[in-house]
Amino acid sequence: MHNELMPVACQILEFKQETQTEFTIKVATGDLKVEHGQFCQLSIPKIGECPISVSDYGDGWMDFTIRAVGKVTDEVFKLEAGDQLFIRGAYGKGWPVDQFKGKNVVIIAGGTGVAPVKSMINKFANEEGFAQSVNIIAGFKDENGILFKDTLKVWEEKFNTIYTLDRDEKEGFRTGLVTKFIEEIPFKDFGDNYEVVIVGPPIMMHFAGLECVKQGIPEEKIWVSFERKMSCAIGKCGHCRIDETYVCLEGPVFNYTQAKKLID
Amino acid sequence: MGYKLSFETVNSLFNELRKEYKIYAPKRFPKAGRYSDTDIIRYAEIKNVEEIVFDEKSDYPAKEVVSPITQTLFYFTEDEYREAKVHDKKVLIFARPCDINAQMNQDKIFLENGFEDTFYKRMRDKVNYVMMECTSSEDTCFCCSMGTNKTDNYGLAARFEEGQVLFNVKDDKFAPFFEGKEEAEYTVKFIEENETKVTIPVIPNKDVLNKLKEHDMWKEFNKRCVSCGSCTIACSTCTCFTTTDISYNENGSVGERRRTAASCQVAGFDEMAGGHDFRKTTADRYRYKTLHKIHDYNERFGQGHMCVGCGRCTERCPEFISFTATIEKVNKAVKEICGGECNA
Amino acid sequence: MNHDIDVKATRINCFRQSKVAGEFMLQLRVPGSIIDAKHLTSVQHIAETWGDGTFHIGMRHTLNIPGIKYENIPAVNEYINNYIKEVEVVECDVEMETCGKGYPTIGARNIMACIGNSHCIKANVNTHELAKKIEKEVFPSHYHIKTTVAGCPNDCAKAHFNDFGVIGIAKMEYDRDRCIGCGACVEACSHHATRVLSLVNGKIEKDTCCCVGCGECVLACPTSAWTRNEKKFYRIMIGGRTGKQYPRMGKMFANWVTEDVVLAIFRNWPKFSAWALDYKPVYLHGGHLIDRAGYIKFKELILEGVELNPEAQIAERIYWQEDEKRANINVKPIAKHNSAGPGSQDGRH
Repeated sequence: MHNELMPVACQILEFKQETQTEFTIKVATGDLKVEHGQFCQLSIPKIGECPISVSDYGDGWMDFTIRAVGKVTDEVFKLEAGDQLFIRGAYGKGWPVDQFKGKNVVIIAGGTGVAPVKSMINKFANEEGFAQSVNIIAGFKDENGILFKDTLKVWEEKFNTIYTLDRDEKEGFRTGLVTKFIEEIPFKDFGDNYEVVIVGPPIMMHFAGLECVKQGIPEEKIWVSFERKMSCAIGKCGHCRIDETYVCLEGPVFNYTQAKKLID
Repeated sequence: MGYKLSFETVNSLFNELRKEYKIYAPKRFPKAGRYSDTDIIRYAEIKNVEEIVFDEKSDYPAKEVVSPITQTLFYFTEDEYREAKVHDKKVLIFARPCDINAQMNQDKIFLENGFEDTFYKRMRDKVNYVMMECTSSEDTCFCCSMGTNKTDNYGLAARFEEGQVLFNVKDDKFAPFFEGKEEAEYTVKFIEENETKVTIPVIPNKDVLNKLKEHDMWKEFNKRCVSCGSCTIACSTCTCFTTTDISYNENGSVGERRRTAASCQVAGFDEMAGGHDFRKTTADRYRYKTLHKIHDYNERFGQGHMCVGCGRCTERCPEFISFTATIEKVNKAVKEICGGECNA
Repeated sequence: MNHDIDVKATRINCFRQSKVAGEFMLQLRVPGSIIDAKHLTSVQHIAETWGDGTFHIGMRHTLNIPGIKYENIPAVNEYINNYIKEVEVVECDVEMETCGKGYPTIGARNIMACIGNSHCIKANVNTHELAKKIEKEVFPSHYHIKTTVAGCPNDCAKAHFNDFGVIGIAKMEYDRDRCIGCGACVEACSHHATRVLSLVNGKIEKDTCCCVGCGECVLACPTSAWTRNEKKFYRIMIGGRTGKQYPRMGKMFANWVTEDVVLAIFRNWPKFSAWALDYKPVYLHGGHLIDRAGYIKFKELILEGVELNPEAQIAERIYWQEDEKRANINVKPIAKHNSAGPGSQDGRH
């Protein structure tokens, strides 16, 4: 009998330090299936499990971009290429990529929130013409918090990008919260052929959502990715439930019409 | 078919049954109560009928047999996780209608919601119920209000009388065990009315739900509820758990992954790595539990409310918070929000 | 006024001298600090018939009726005969004669108790039942002893300030499998008790040696992972006292002893007192007798023939810590040193 809670051993192919506390591991994940915006449960025996969103993937591998802020992530931080960890997944409902086809896609991402949209943006980069246009507002706290520096450069060349630092100055970056730059997106030019993706810390998503609605963006065009305490990831343990919704099953990606009503 | 068995005969029946089944029933643990010289009644494996407490409600629910408070899921070494084994006997549980209905509600979460839970299923598949007829209802019971006073989900029914037990054999597989036993008229009865009655409020939409969440009615629980989680552990339908790894020795990489019942009432239940939590106050947490029991679960699965009205939450609350009184307060609040129009 | 009264004799009879010449205050014993409420009508009757119409709740939980004239004492004694019979003989099974002459002695003072586990959520034992059993062991005796029974280490009954203070404690049992790792017991122990619990990887670890046996962990536990062992245990504090000269807090003499051991120790108390005072009872309370005999001698005599339960712990030595109201109260000429044992009360040392 298949046991969904059984994690499989996977080897780390690459370990890349992103910032002081954030790093990306590339893991050989065999035939585990994944879609853009989904997450996996990473395990280290005797430490435990934690949910990590898939920041990129390809044939037989996945990237996980992790901030060392907990028991498990601290331990993963100590690993290096060649080491082994355990994975099950991928889980949850990811981005409605097909719905984005041919559209002007606006992505507003804050901090580690860039991770869950990275693979999707890379898809847009690799499949020219999939999206009508890609517009990215990516914000980080300060210079030390900038993730995926090389990837940001690639995106900068291909897409309309606004990179910003909350409270720091750096060439190529503007200063201020992401919400400040939403009005710079040329929504008027998009007609109604666009979709908006918001992902980041809960407070950032809250205010970015409100700002978008204020800009007159219909709620059904806004998509967010929720962070909650996904623990079992299979709809059992209850930690991520909000009302009748299990974030691990129906999320982490929600349409804003639904998300705005999910009050913990 | 009905049978009348003296306690002595029941014990020899148990001896036969125990070759195939582990028998679980509510059992008294003397002086193990919260306060000194008080008892606890909870489910445990039994050998004799005399061990069964049939005339009092157990403090803890029957769910513990199927999903114990702590359960080992996997044993691990450096290289692999290995599924923990389970005993190969079948399981017979003496349970009241509310507890049996509660298990049906748990089935929805463990078997239907998202994925199937292997550990739950393999135990659940073993379970047969002996429905313990309620001959009287306690003042915290409100099963009739929840529609959980009846069930036909059992193999045997039992009515306890002075020194004897009436059995009704519903599932034929138990018939051979009763061959040659004294037959008797026995029609199974259910409780038809409780002293405590509640009406579950109809919450017509998300707007009302979200207004209800912000209603002042919850504030009193910031003062009264202590967030201990007693109600959720005593609840016959709560399923939440937390998974933990432990190693057998400090440096070794051999150990086990187990899950332990968790309570949404205890602070930290929704806390993410890094420290952000969503329901910060006692009232937030109490509201979260209450609405799950009388709204959210039904909203998801649509076949009745999660709460089965066993009343154990009220019994076990050290602060005398009555769940039925809370439901009445929700009723009042919903009426206020809807202007008296939406509540049937 | 011309009175000719033996006040010592009336005191032994439990009538205490008033500042008003010829008046006395009756002290009715209430062993275990609990009696049937019906007795209150007797108290009212005495107060209104022979007393000044008031009654006072005694500092050792006696029911005190002031303003009784000396000449009415025989009538009062006749009247309280029934009370003594019911409370002492029937309730406590005390072996004494009830002949209408009132209390035979004031020696062993009223045995106090907090309400205990017949009511209190914190208590580990039934305090009044134990108090009544102790009453049977020590009353009536002319040797002075102040005893109290507390239901838990919170010690509302002030076991720390009596000659003998008995405290009900419990041995806790921990069922790992029932524990959900909520940490409520850790918080309760750290807030109310001795901080012996910690949460390690979702389960509890305990520093057993410093557990005071209060039961706060059991009270806090939402799952019955913590329970009290069915067996009742007690701690005995000795030598506590108030007083003008050298009040002090008692020290732990015995820990984790059973009720049988507690009662056996009390059974030895009159014997120890008699030895310490050379068989001549004087108005001197238990703690002072322990001081005179020295802890080692006290221990030897009080444990004579006592069969200790396996869990029992007995103090090897005690370091007293008096609060000396008069400087250097223990420093005095050898000739003035008090001593104990044979001949000690005849002025020899």
